Amino acid sequence: MTVLARSPRFLALLCCTMLASFCSAADDDSTILFERDIRPIFRAHCYDCHGAGEEMKGKLDLRLVRSMQQGGETGPAMIPGKPAESYFLERIKSGEMPPGDHRVPADQVAVLEKWVAAGAPTARPEPESIGRGLGISEEERGYWAFRPIGTPQPPTVDDPSRARNAIDLFLLARMKEKGLQFSSDADRATLIKRVYLDLVGLPPTLQQVQQFIDDSSDNAYDQLVDQLLASDHYGERWGRHWLDVAGYADSEGYTNNDSVRKYAYKYRNYVIQSFNDDLPFDQFIQEQLAGDEMIEPPQGDLNEEQIRRLTATGFLRMAVDGTAADLPNAGAARNQIVADTIKIVSSSLLGISVGCARCHDHRYDPISHDDYHRMRAVFEPTFDWKQWRNPSQRQISLYTEADRQRRTEVQQEINTVAAQRDSKRNEYIRQALEKEYERYEEPLREQLRAAKDAADDKRTDEQKALLKDYPSLNVNGGNLYQYNQGHADEIKEFDAKIGEIRKKIPVEEFLRVANEVAGQRSPTYLFYRGDHRQPKHEITPGGLTVTAPEGQRLAIEDDNPQLPTSGRRLAYAQWLTNGQHPLVARVLVNRIWLHHFGQGIVSTPDEFGKLGSLPTHPELLTWLAAYFMENNWSLKQLHRLMVTSTAYRQSSDHLAEFDNIDGANSYYWRKSVQRLDAEIIRDRILAVSGKLDATMLGNYSAVKMDDSGQVVVGDSHRRSVYVEVRRTQPAAVLQVFDAPVMTVNCSKRTISTDANQSLMLMNSDFILNYAAAFAARVNQHAEGMVDAELVKDIELGFDPAEFYLGDPWSYGYGFIPEPAEGKLAAVNFTHYPTYDPEANRWQGGEKVPENPLGYSLIHPTGGHTGADQFCSIRRWTAPRSGEIEIQGTLAHTNQQGDGVELVLYSSRLGQQGRWTVHASNEEFKVSLKVEQGDQIDMVVSKRDTISFDSFQLTYQVDMALPNSDEKQVWQSEKDFHGPLKDKTLPVKSPIMQQAVYAWQLAYARSPNKAELDLVAVFLRTQLASLVQQNHEDPAGQAMTNYCQVLMSSNEFLYTD
Amino acid sequence: MTNSPQIRNRREFLSHNALGIGSVALATMLGRDNLLATPANVPRGQQVFDLVPKQSHFEPRATAMISLFMHGGPAHMDLTDPKPELQKLDGKTYEGDVEYSFIKRASKRLLGSRWKFRPQGKCGTEISELLPHISEVVDDICLIRSMHTGYNGHEVSIRYMHAGIPGVTGRPTMGSWLLYGLGSETDNLPSYMVLTDPGGHPVDSTHNWSNGWLPTMFQGTVLRPKEPRILNLDAPPHLRGAIQQQNLGFLGKLNRRHLERHPGERDLEARIASYELAARMQTAAKEALDISQETAETHQLYGLDESATREYGTRCLIARRLVERGVRFVQLFLNGQPWDNHANIKSALPAACQRTDKPAAALVKDLKRRGLLETTIVHWGGEIGRLPVTEGDPDSGGRDHNGQGFSTWLAGGGFKPGIVYGETDDVGHRAAVDIVNANDFQATLLNQFGLDHSRLVYFHNGQEQTITNGRKARVVHDILS
Repeated sequence: MTVLARSPRFLALLCCTMLASFCSAADDDSTILFERDIRPIFRAHCYDCHGAGEEMKGKLDLRLVRSMQQGGETGPAMIPGKPAESYFLERIKSGEMPPGDHRVPADQVAVLEKWVAAGAPTARPEPESIGRGLGISEEERGYWAFRPIGTPQPPTVDDPSRARNAIDLFLLARMKEKGLQFSSDADRATLIKRVYLDLVGLPPTLQQVQQFIDDSSDNAYDQLVDQLLASDHYGERWGRHWLDVAGYADSEGYTNNDSVRKYAYKYRNYVIQSFNDDLPFDQFIQEQLAGDEMIEPPQGDLNEEQIRRLTATGFLRMAVDGTAADLPNAGAARNQIVADTIKIVSSSLLGISVGCARCHDHRYDPISHDDYHRMRAVFEPTFDWKQWRNPSQRQISLYTEADRQRRTEVQQEINTVAAQRDSKRNEYIRQALEKEYERYEEPLREQLRAAKDAADDKRTDEQKALLKDYPSLNVNGGNLYQYNQGHADEIKEFDAKIGEIRKKIPVEEFLRVANEVAGQRSPTYLFYRGDHRQPKHEITPGGLTVTAPEGQRLAIEDDNPQLPTSGRRLAYAQWLTNGQHPLVARVLVNRIWLHHFGQGIVSTPDEFGKLGSLPTHPELLTWLAAYFMENNWSLKQLHRLMVTSTAYRQSSDHLAEFDNIDGANSYYWRKSVQRLDAEIIRDRILAVSGKLDATMLGNYSAVKMDDSGQVVVGDSHRRSVYVEVRRTQPAAVLQVFDAPVMTVNCSKRTISTDANQSLMLMNSDFILNYAAAFAARVNQHAEGMVDAELVKDIELGFDPAEFYLGDPWSYGYGFIPEPAEGKLAAVNFTHYPTYDPEANRWQGGEKVPENPLGYSLIHPTGGHTGADQFCSIRRWTAPRSGEIEIQGTLAHTNQQGDGVELVLYSSRLGQQGRWTVHASNEEFKVSLKVEQGDQIDMVVSKRDTISFDSFQLTYQVDMALPNSDEKQVWQSEKDFHGPLKDKTLPVKSPIMQQAVYAWQLAYARSPNKAELDLVAVFLRTQLASLVQQNHEDPAGQAMTNYCQVLMSSNEFLYTD
Repeated sequence: MTNSPQIRNRREFLSHNALGIGSVALATMLGRDNLLATPANVPRGQQVFDLVPKQSHFEPRATAMISLFMHGGPAHMDLTDPKPELQKLDGKTYEGDVEYSFIKRASKRLLGSRWKFRPQGKCGTEISELLPHISEVVDDICLIRSMHTGYNGHEVSIRYMHAGIPGVTGRPTMGSWLLYGLGSETDNLPSYMVLTDPGGHPVDSTHNWSNGWLPTMFQGTVLRPKEPRILNLDAPPHLRGAIQQQNLGFLGKLNRRHLERHPGERDLEARIASYELAARMQTAAKEALDISQETAETHQLYGLDESATREYGTRCLIARRLVERGVRFVQLFLNGQPWDNHANIKSALPAACQRTDKPAAALVKDLKRRGLLETTIVHWGGEIGRLPVTEGDPDSGGRDHNGQGFSTWLAGGGFKPGIVYGETDDVGHRAAVDIVNANDFQATLLNQFGLDHSRLVYFHNGQEQTITNGRKARVVHDILS
C-alpha cells in the first residue's frame, strides 16, 4: 500500500520524521492542557532551542507557561487569552519558526491557538523551579508503556463458556463492545497442522494427524502441545525468531568483501539450545548481555558452563563489523558498531527507538540525549572506540591444558623428525658438493672449497667472485633434486611425515564474545549531535529515566570491585530482568503473541513509544507480561497458555457478518491465515520430499553461487536455520520469501507476494530437484501406504506402467530361419557388437569390412547387408498393445549389383510384407495389431550377390493413444542412437496411489472425491502429453510435476 | 507540451481504472482511510503491497526513465564543462583550496583539458570533441553543470545520489520509490530493471539497486549481462509449453478451491495473480529482450556493428525496448569505474567515451523519433566529477575525485531541451551558480513523475520516510519546460 500523505508535514531534522497524528486529544473540544497537548508539539518542534539545552535561544524558555509569558529578548512570547498578541504564535504562523524547512503542521498550530485563547491552562500548578533539560512530565510518565506492570486481573464476562483461559476472557470482554464472538473451534486436522508448523516449523505426518483425530481423550490437545514443546525442533523454530531480532549473521558485512564470521554459529546454537532447555528468559537475557560477568574468571580450562555463558555474549557481537580491515574512517565505523549494538539491545528488549536520542532529545518520547549516553556508558568498557579491539582480538580460545600439552608433545615429535631431516639434508648437500669439487683440478678445487667453507662475512672479494663464476656450487635444499633426485625425494618424505604428525595437533577453536579488558574503563561523553568528534560532558552508566519510578533512575557504579570486569552490563541486565521494568516483559510477550497470531497486540514490536501504534488489548498485554514473569520467565509456559486458548484454537473461516464489523480481525474473532516464514517453506519442502537432514546444531551449511548466478544452499538438506547467513549473498530461496537481509536486525518481517516467488516455485533448480525427490519417494513407498479403496474407482484411461519406459529400438544382424512344422519362425537376432561414433553406425567390429560380419551395418538412414547369416535387422519392440501403422521408404541407388530385399516380420504374426529394390525406391505402408513386447523387425538381406548392397531405409511407426485422438509416433531416422545408458525408472507403485500418497505427505490430509477427480484429470492430461512427446519416463515426470504443484500451492504455503 | 496520444491514452486509461483494475488497491485505500478514522486502539494491520498503478499527486510529465549511470566521476572539464581560465592556467599552481581524496599523489598544479570544445547544435552548447555523438543531440538535452554532493568518495556520493543520504546504505533507491509510489504500467515485466555490465558489478555492488526497507517487490530486478538474463524466468526445456501450462492450470484449480474455503483472504488472491504474472513474464520478457526484431539501421544507430560499442549499445537498445513495453525505471551500470581516471587519463578517458558516447546519443535519437522521449527521461551522469588539478605526473597521471562540482545531463520527460543550467567556478572545482545537490535532483525527477518528494512517504520504524529523508530539497523549476 502506498502512503501518499495528504499534506506535507516535515521535520527537516537529522533523523526523525514524524507520524501523522499524535495529538488526537486536541481534536475534540475538551480543555487543551499544556502538559498533555502542548508539550508534545513543543517537544517535536521547539525544545531543541528553547528548552532542552543549557542555552535558550533568544533567552526564551518554553518549558513552563510562566516562562513563556515572561518571554525572552523580544519580550513576552505569550499572553493568555490573546492569541493575536502572542508573539510565539506569530513567529510560527509566519513560517519563521522553527528555522529551516520544516513547519509546524496546521492542525497543531490550531491547537496552540485554541490553547492560548482558552487562557493557556495547565493541568496543575507549575513547579517553583525546574532543573536542566526537559525532564519528564506526569503525562509522559503515565504513557501506557511506561506504567508499572503490577498484578492485573482478568476481567469477568457474562458468558465465559467459550473461554479456556484468561486470554480468552480479555478478548471476550473487548469483543462484547462490538457484538463479536469467537468462531467455532477449528477441526482437529487443521489444528494439528497449525500447531505443528507454529511450534516446530515442520508438518505432521498423516499418521500423527490421524492419531490426534482418533484420540478422544480430553487432554489430547494439551498432550500434543507438550510433546511439541519438548521436541528439539522447537528450538530450531523459535530460536530463529530470536535470531531475527538479534541480527544474526555469519558474516561481518560493511565491505563488499563481507568476510565470514567463522564462529558466530556457536551463538546460534546457544540460542537454539536455550530455547529447547526453556532457559528462564531473564537468565537468557542476562547471559547474552553479561555472560562473561556471570562466570568464575576463567583459569585453566573453560568448563561447559563458562563456554555456554561466554558464547551467549555473541548477542552483543552481531552488529555489522568491518573493523578487521584498515578503514579510512575507523572512528565512525567503530561508533557505528556501538550505535547498532544499542539498537539491537533496545529494539529487542526495550521495544523503543532510543536511536533518535543519539543526536538529541527524543522528539516524541521522554528519552533524553543524556539517557542514550547512559546506555552507551553501560557498554563503554566493552566497546571502547578509542582502544578498539577488532574481531580477531575479541575471540576466546577453547584450547584446554590437555590440548596445549598435546600440541607441545606433537611439536616435539615434529622437531625430532625435522632434526633428522635437516641433518640428512646437510649430509646430502655435503655429498653433492664433494661431487662438484671432484669436477675441478687442484689448486682450483682447494680454492673453491676454501671459498665455500668461509663464513659469509669472512669471505674475501676474490672468493665471492670465484663462487659467482661457479654457480653450481650453490647447492641447497631447494635445488638438491638437480644433483640427486633420490636424495631430494628422501627429504620430501620427511616433510610428508611431518605433515602427518602435525595433523595430530588438536584444532584450535574460538568463541566470538563480548567482554572487557580488565581495568580498562574509558569515560563516556555525551556526543553533540551524535558526533564522536564533538564530545561534551561526561556521562555515567544507567538506565532510561522513564523506565523507573520518579527519582529512582538506575545508576550503575563505575566499577564493581567484586568482579574483574566493570560489572556494568551485569548490573544493567539484572535491572532489566528484576520484574519491575515496564517494557522488557511486555515487549517479549508481544513478540511471542505476534508469531502465534500473525499480529502483535502492539503492531510495532520494536516501537512501544509514541511513534509506534497503541496496543489493541493493553490490559491483556500487561497481564501476559505479569504471567510470564510469575511463571519464572518460562517461554514454554507462555506458548502453552497461548496455543491452548480458544483464540488460538478457533477456525480461520471468514464470517461475512463479522468481517463487516472487524475485517482486520483486530478483536480476534477468528484465527488469521498466516503465510509460512521463508525458512518453514523450505523446511516443509525438504520434509515432504523425504530429503530433510534433521542433524541439529553444528556449523552452518554454506551457500554458493550456482551457474546462473543464483545464491543457493549447497548440497545440504539441513533445516534453514542452519543455512549460512551471508549478508551480501542471501540464499535466494529464503530471501525471496522475505527472510531478512541483516543490515542491523529485523524486528518484524515484511510479507510480500510477487512474481519472483512464483518463478522460483515454477522454474528454479531448487524446486525441480526437490519435486523429483518427492516423486521418487512416493514411487518407492506409496504401494501399501494408501488405502486402495480410495482410488479403485479412479479411471486414468490407461496404466502408465504399460508404457515402455525408454527406447524401443535395437540394431542387430541375423536371419529368418525356416519355420518348424506348424510354427512361426523366430528371427535369429544378435545385437551388433560395435558402435562407431564417428560414422554414427552399428557394425560387426572396429573396422568395416575387416570383421566377422563384413559389410553388415546399420546407420540412421539405412545400412548395408551382409552374408546370409548377417542380414541387417532394425528392430522395434512394442511398448504396449494396440494398432500400429508402419510407413516408409526403401531405396537402393546403385546400378551395379542386384539390389536388396526387405522383409517386415512380426514376432507374433510372421511376415507382413516383402519388397525388393535395385536402383529403385519402394514406398510401403502396413497396418497391424501388436501386443506389448512384440518385435517388429525390418530384415534386409542380399539377393544373389553381396556387392553394392548399400540401402536406404527410413520409416515411422504410429500408434494411437488410448481414449485420445492423438498418436504416438516413432521415427527410425530421428530416433537412431548409439549405446544408451540405462535411465529407466520402474514404476513401483500404481500411479493413483502415488498421487494420493504425495497429497497426504504434502497436506497431511487425504484428498476428497472431488479433489481426486481433479488429480486424475491432471495426470491423464500430463501422461498423454508426455507420452506424445516420447518422454522417457512419463509416469515419473508426471508425478514430479504433480509434486511440484502441491508444494507451490497455497495450502502448502499458508496455515489456516 | 502535451503527451503523445498513445501515452495519453494509457494515462487516461490508468486514471480511470486505477481503482477499477485493482479492486485490491481500492480495498487497500479504503482500508487505510478506515484505519485513520478508527479509534486509536485499533492497530495498523499487516500492510499489503502491490504493483497496481497508482494515482500520482499531480499530472506527470514523465512515465519512465532510463538512467545511464556513469559512476566513477566523468571529468567534466574534459567533457561537458569548458573552462578557458583553466586552459590559461595550465601548469600553474592553483591558489584556492582543493578537496583531495588521494593525498599521496596530490598536487595543486592545474591541468588544462587536452581536448577541444566547440559549440554544437542550434543551441550552441559547448561539448568536448570526445563526445561527437552526444554533440549531435545537444539540442535535445538539458545539461546541468552545477551538480554537487559535497563528498568526494564514490560510495558516499553514490548512495546520496541513489537513495538520498550520503554514505548511508539500506535505503530504497529511486527506482524503488517510483515503483512504490506509482506501481507498474506493465503487468508482464518487472518494472524496475537494472542492466549490469558483463565485466561485473559496479562499485558499491547491489546497494545501487537496493529496495532498502521497502518490501522486496520494489527491488531492482537485475537483468544479467548474459543468459539467463532473468533468473528462473525460463522453464527448463522439459517443462516448456503445454506441460507447464498444465501444471499452472492444475495449480490454479487447487488454489481456487483453497480460496473458496477462505473467501476474502487477499493474500491468497494476490498469490494466484502472481503466478499469472510470472507465466506472462516468461513470454513477455523473452520478447522484450529479443533485439533481433530491430532493423539493421537501428542496430547501426546504437553501434552494434562496432566492437567498441556493441555491448553498451545492446544494453541501451534493450533499455528502450523495456521502456516501450511499460517498464518504469531502467538503469545501466558499467563494471568497476571506467570514469575513475586517477591515472592515464590521456588514454582512459577517450576509451570510456568511445564505449558509451554513440549508444547514449542513439538512445536519445531513437526515443525521440518514436515519440517516446516526451515521456521518458534519459539521464546521463555519475556521482562525482574530477579535480582541475593533476594527480601524479601531468603526462601519465589523471585527476582525483571531485564531489564539489560536476555535470549531468537529462533529456526528455519535460526537461528543457538545448539548455545549460548552473556553473562551476573558473577552474571547475566547485559548483558555483545554481547549485543542484542530490536531493534537489531527486525532488526534480520525482516532480516529473507527478510526485511531491515530501509526500511520497513510507512508514518504517514508526516513522514517515521519504527519499530525501526530510532534507532540504528543491524542485529545479528552471530546467523544466
